[in-house]
Amino acid sequence: MKLVAGNIFGFWMFLVVAIFTLVLINYSKSGKINITLRKIAGLEAIEESIGRATEMGKPIHFSPGLGDIIGATAAETFAALEVLSYVTRMSAKYNAELVVTIRQPNVFPLAQESVKQQYMAAGKSDMFKEDTVRFLSNQQVAYTTGVVGFMHREKVAANIMAGLYMGEALLLAEAGAQIGAIQVAITASMTQLPFFVAACDYTIIGEELFAAGAYLSQDRIKLGGIAAQDYIKLAVMATAVAGALLMSSGSNFLNRLLVK
Amino acid sequence: MRKEVPLVITFVVAIIVMLSAITTGPIPGTSIAISDLFRQHISPWMTIVSAFAVGLASVNLLRVHTRAIARKRNDWIYSVILIVTLAIYAGFRTYVELNLSNATAAANYALIFNNILTPLSAAMWALLAFYVASASYRAFRARSAEATVLLISAIVVMLGAAPVGALIWSRFPDVQRWLLEVPNMTGQRGILIGAAIGGFVTSLRVLLGMERGHLGSAD
Amino acid sequence: MDFLKKLQNVDRRIIYLLFVLALAIPLIRPIGIPLQISPATRAVYNIIESLDPATDVVLLSFEYAPGSGIDIHAIPVTVVEHLMKRGLRWVGVSFSPEGPLMMNMIIDDLESRGYKYGEDFVNLGYMAGEENAIRLFSLDTSVFTTDSRGNSVASLPIMQGISTVKDFAFVHGFTSSDLGIAGWLRQAVDPLGIDYAVGVVTVSVPSATPYYNSGQLKGLLGGLRGAAEYELLIETPGLGASMMDAQSMGHLLILGFILLGNLSYLFGKKK
Repeated sequence: MKLVAGNIFGFWMFLVVAIFTLVLINYSKSGKINITLRKIAGLEAIEESIGRATEMGKPIHFSPGLGDIIGATAAETFAALEVLSYVTRMSAKYNAELVVTIRQPNVFPLAQESVKQQYMAAGKSDMFKEDTVRFLSNQQVAYTTGVVGFMHREKVAANIMAGLYMGEALLLAEAGAQIGAIQVAITASMTQLPFFVAACDYTIIGEELFAAGAYLSQDRIKLGGIAAQDYIKLAVMATAVAGALLMSSGSNFLNRLLVK
Repeated sequence: MRKEVPLVITFVVAIIVMLSAITTGPIPGTSIAISDLFRQHISPWMTIVSAFAVGLASVNLLRVHTRAIARKRNDWIYSVILIVTLAIYAGFRTYVELNLSNATAAANYALIFNNILTPLSAAMWALLAFYVASASYRAFRARSAEATVLLISAIVVMLGAAPVGALIWSRFPDVQRWLLEVPNMTGQRGILIGAAIGGFVTSLRVLLGMERGHLGSAD
Repeated sequence: MDFLKKLQNVDRRIIYLLFVLALAIPLIRPIGIPLQISPATRAVYNIIESLDPATDVVLLSFEYAPGSGIDIHAIPVTVVEHLMKRGLRWVGVSFSPEGPLMMNMIIDDLESRGYKYGEDFVNLGYMAGEENAIRLFSLDTSVFTTDSRGNSVASLPIMQGISTVKDFAFVHGFTSSDLGIAGWLRQAVDPLGIDYAVGVVTVSVPSATPYYNSGQLKGLLGGLRGAAEYELLIETPGLGASMMDAQSMGHLLILGFILLGNLSYLFGKKK
């Protein structure tokens, strides 16, 4: 068994970066380093929007996005499920009805189990109903239509969208804006950012989606991961600058190394 | 055990999938390559598990809607329509899949697809145009210096993308291309790299069982 | 002051009505606004022009559903038209469930014009598994044992001599999601070194552009506009070209509303 050409450098870098991340996570876990995250206004707004839903007696809508838990979109969906845990905890705290709509069948059992467990942990098992987590359709347009219809019928007070979004982003966000819901969008889907920014009250972009779980739970393991993320990014930036300088001076050493 | 077993399965499968993409040749001491292991065992399982998930999700859909009908909730008639449509569609498609050589059945299925699903989806999608108009009217205001920059670039990109822009000023398409290829691309790459690293660390935590939010853990 | 306030809060139904008019009138009475052809569109045209009909087979991958079809379907229609004009054979595949049905819309038209299924083109159907499926198919095309009509793929004349995706002279994707852009690049284009171009929905153009500039995408067709440009290149006007005037008018109206909103906002603030 040997590594295929083109993946050799990538594989070793994967190992180095993974070990580095684990070391930082362990440091954070054991309290050797303390990590404080900067304030992310949009995430603070989630609790506020749920409190408002309770005052209004209207439900909160949560969508974990259109991504699956397999393939390239998995990380975004897992990050969205972390946000769902927090939203469920807040919904239990404020006694606000939560409705989660699902597009990907694979995500359905995970979301259902997560919501059920969070309610149980908060001692509010009775808040979990069979239609708290609803599978609508795995057809993108049918799912969108279902969510838009639901938001209009139930006049939801808060609409929280986390994870991967595609063309339906504006349809969902504009429907929320029309009924006056507080809207928080948390996504790394770059093509949809302009629409969320235009139609939502708070938009959390790019890697902030992956930081959301750590931010909301203040869990030391997750915080360690965030610190590792920043150091890795610094290393990538340094590599990019070094690559540009080397290429400009006529050497393609780094280029050759990266494609090894 | 309830938590540990899924975590072990996650770890083993993830390692196989990852190595299958980057290695060749048999695993030491065996005659099977990891890529074959992936192709022959993991990939079919992924399809099977996904199919069961569709079944599970469909059961939820049916239960929510049959309950709505039984309790005669508001607009319960739509639940009836949903269940009937679901049954017709699923039945018809299954028949077509089982009888691939039956050209008439396939043609009739295409008739439903082309004349019901396609126009319905297109109509829903076409709403985007209206929503873009109302959202941009409402949100694109020059409230600050940054918002003004955003506003001006949006106008230039729109004029560059529509043929009418070139009639107004022939350089609009060039300026649009520059905006897309220089400032936009720089920003896109920055966000892309950041998000990819975020995705990497999240995946690593899932792979090693440090991320349990999706399993319903309290943390 | 009241007037300025009203201008800042025009009822969205009025906006929608004006929008319908701005789109419908040019569709009924075309204006004929000239169109510039972008280098990314011309790149696709040049690749197809350079292929040899005697030996080359093209792979087309359909990853979109009817919903986004309104923006993207005109692209495969015009690219296929170019392939047929040049006498090039093509194989269609899909990694999104609705793709084969979208492909069939094009195939029905070709068959009614006398082209032969199985010899000039074939629809292999859909394979589940998204990126994993792209990788499996790229390494071994025989993962499809039967095509969408139940024929044995190995017995089809067009498939003779094809065992991996590298055996195709050129691959063109049509996609409404990231699967057709980054998914194909990650699983097939970069590791196997194939020539790949893609047609995307208009909103994906900014995110696909970096890949075109880096050379990973050999060409890029963006939405209806891309289709319209391509139709001009092959001198066969179609759906794309007929929609361009409406698109221009729609853009102008949105611009008008943005300006209106801003002027009333600025004047309102001064007062």
